Amino acid sequence: MSHRVLVIDDEDDIREVAALSLETVAGWEVFVANSGTQGLARAIELQPEAILLDVMMPGMDGPTTFRELRKNPATSAIPVLLLTAKVQGSDQRRFADLGVQAILFKPFDPLTLADQISAVLGWS
Amino acid sequence: MGTDSQSALTAALDRLWTQFLPQMQARVELLQAIAQTVAMQKLSDEQKQTASAAAHKLAGVLGTFGLSSGTELARELELIYSRADCPGPELAEKLASSARELKAIIASRA
Repeated sequence: MSHRVLVIDDEDDIREVAALSLETVAGWEVFVANSGTQGLARAIELQPEAILLDVMMPGMDGPTTFRELRKNPATSAIPVLLLTAKVQGSDQRRFADLGVQAILFKPFDPLTLADQISAVLGWS
Repeated sequence: MGTDSQSALTAALDRLWTQFLPQMQARVELLQAIAQTVAMQKLSDEQKQTASAAAHKLAGVLGTFGLSSGTELARELELIYSRADCPGPELAEKLASSARELKAIIASRA
């Protein structure tokens, strides 16, 4: 089944690989944004079924973007999965406390990224 | 996943690797230059943050292209550069050799 996912990441290489992976492997419709600000606007406009959100971004970082998504009634119910290269336990606990659906780690395997997301969101 | 879509993904990843290779090489060159600055004991806070960010980005992406050893090495550098204190000259050779090794790992895929 096809799904609609928004990838928010300032790093163009990661953004492109994630989009490519989800489109090619899973056949999902993928939208991209290169900043938290652009991501908020695209989430309101496109109403994706899930958002893959980078943590470290200049300007509005991932946690701030997540809080803004939750504040807005138009985006508050969209599941958000954080994507991070931070592997230290203290960072992970901080991110988990935000209330995101899941934390996924970079580097990810392009072959299995869609499976990871599907498993978290209960998509068959 | 079918063989066709796996082949399509592999081919597309190879295209993206070629597209983003100059960016990755530039990050490694930056790490090499900053390692020299460490050796000269002239590392500024801004350079330290720049090095930490470059290493962080490399750590996040290299494994995605199958270079997990590059991710591990970049993570080590990120940890060193993200400590509160500046790395001293005793770490300069380690930082330089790790940057050289990263360059070789990237070249091995190119």
